[in-house]
Amino acid sequence: MKRLIVVFICFIALIAAITTMVSAMTAEEIINRRDENEYIKVAKVEAEMVIINGRRKMSKNMLTFIEEDNSLTIFTNARDRGTKFLKRDDDLWMFFPEAEDIVKISGHMLNQGMMGSDFSYQDMMESDKLTDLYDFAIIGEEELNGRQCYVLEGVALDGKEVSYYRRKSWIDKERFIGLKEELYAKSERLLKVMNVKRVEQIDGRWYPVESVMENKLRKKTRTEFVIKSIKFNPKIPAGTFTLQNMQ
Amino acid sequence: MFLTKLAFKNLMRHRNRTLITAIIIAFAIFFYIIMDSMIGGMTEISYKNIIDYQAGHLQLVRDDYWEDKDGLSLENLLFVDQPKMSLLESIRGYKSSSPELNFHARLNNGINELPVIGKGIIPERFKEVFAFEDQFIEGSIFSSEENKVVMGKRLADLLKLEIGDYITLLVRDKNETFNTIEAEVSGLFHTSNPNVNSNIVYLPLKIAQQALNVDKQVSKIIVKLEDKDQAMVIADELESKLKRIDDDLSIYAWEELEAISVAGAKQMGNQLIMSIILIIAAIAIINTVILATLERMEEIGMMKAMGLQEKEIIYIFVLESTGIGILGGIMGLMLGAIGVWVFANYGIDWSVIVGNNVDISSFGIPVIGKMYGTWNLKAFIFVFSFGVIVSLLSSILPAYWAASKDPVKAIYHR
Repeated sequence: MKRLIVVFICFIALIAAITTMVSAMTAEEIINRRDENEYIKVAKVEAEMVIINGRRKMSKNMLTFIEEDNSLTIFTNARDRGTKFLKRDDDLWMFFPEAEDIVKISGHMLNQGMMGSDFSYQDMMESDKLTDLYDFAIIGEEELNGRQCYVLEGVALDGKEVSYYRRKSWIDKERFIGLKEELYAKSERLLKVMNVKRVEQIDGRWYPVESVMENKLRKKTRTEFVIKSIKFNPKIPAGTFTLQNMQ
Repeated sequence: MFLTKLAFKNLMRHRNRTLITAIIIAFAIFFYIIMDSMIGGMTEISYKNIIDYQAGHLQLVRDDYWEDKDGLSLENLLFVDQPKMSLLESIRGYKSSSPELNFHARLNNGINELPVIGKGIIPERFKEVFAFEDQFIEGSIFSSEENKVVMGKRLADLLKLEIGDYITLLVRDKNETFNTIEAEVSGLFHTSNPNVNSNIVYLPLKIAQQALNVDKQVSKIIVKLEDKDQAMVIADELESKLKRIDDDLSIYAWEELEAISVAGAKQMGNQLIMSIILIIAAIAIINTVILATLERMEEIGMMKAMGLQEKEIIYIFVLESTGIGILGGIMGLMLGAIGVWVFANYGIDWSVIVGNNVDISSFGIPVIGKMYGTWNLKAFIFVFSFGVIVSLLSSILPAYWAASKDPVKAIYHR
């Protein structure tokens, strides 16, 4: 009888283990679930960017239209009113109303902080799905700000042009949204950390509406990015993403 | 002959007037020659600065790299292999060569960041091509194996860096992926090239190659020759031999560099200034000659009354003016020669003029210490001819005007 009980317990344990293995998500599935939430196809976003450098604090408001690989950002705060950024596929243009000229941003200029923020132009340019660029693996599970998270590590796929060689992401187990991300250089030096402060459910999907980016190569700087309103799949007028529309 | 003798006698008779007019011409010529020598000296220094601290005499690169050389792309790089080196070493006048890998980077001190150009170099070979040896004001250059960098004092001051401090260079490798190079500052230099002082960070080639993921490739090989004036000819000679090794390789002489074109454009600006000086000189000469002619109105009336023809009177005056021009020209040349000799041999010490604490290179004058003048025979010949011709031409009209007057009116013209 005793032997039978041991065999039964082993059988139950085996079944439980198999069930767990079958139901456990793969890294790719987790990232894909996250992309379902965070990847934008078409949207209209109103946001505020607060750049904090030591004691200095600058606030910039912007309106952004996104459609697949194209986006147009128009700054609306008094100091930068009329400044526009147009991204079309892999190209980025900038229009300064004072200079009344369109400038193409390319090469090493893309590494600079956008409007003095901790987001580089290149950060704004990368719109590909992360699973197309990185090989992700689950490296653990952690609690972050009271939420249970998967911790995933993505290493750049061979031959892919990516800014950050390695990225470590904390993804909410329940809502499938990135709550924190660490971005590393090839030398393993931590370059940037992004923390999501607030998440909201909009049109049935969870989306980060308040986040903070810190440049870890520089002390005392951070940029807060707050989404004031976001509309998914709005109708965007034809000709929005043209150079003519910038002037 | 009589008229010629008369003109000569007139010059001798009015010694003071002749001398004063000649001195005015002499000063104009002297000033031009000195300015020309100074501009020549500055141009030479500009070229020397570009050659000695940035470009060398020849640059071996891939054609595609050269087309967008300012982009400092990590594509179209080249290997430093034996066939290329043997070819370079076989060219006449070859002194040394230095490979370098150029890239864009952001220099970070932990608080601030500045965009800079990084240059991976082999220090031993770099020293043979570029004149950095005596330019270090603190520390010294690294060895190939050390994880160290050197930069201009001005750049270091901007980021409050000192010897022994650690910096981070944020770079993008060949796959556009961010990478960092962390290194200690081993030396600070101050050259007479402001661009090098404030924009460039030098580091060991191996470290740069590793961080940028470019295998053992470099952007270019810089060659130093014995004579810079031979660079263009040697580059042409070498071109076809290079194509035999690799059809995509090219060699460019320092004269073909954009920086030299910019220096050339500045030279055009200088020529404009020189032209203005010449115009002012010409006005001074014309003014003096006209006044001298008008002053002698009675004399002209007398000559006409004695039976001289208009053209003979004009001839005398033109000859006199030409004589004054020649005399002033010779005086100007002598003064100019003395000035240029002093300037070329002893130079001007800018630090004495502007003070030791002021960096004159920040005003666009690429000089540290003394600046020397250059001899330019062409300028001597040109300005002498100019003085004589202006004197000659400027006397024709007033002489014609005076000679065409009625003799009685000319005598009593007051």
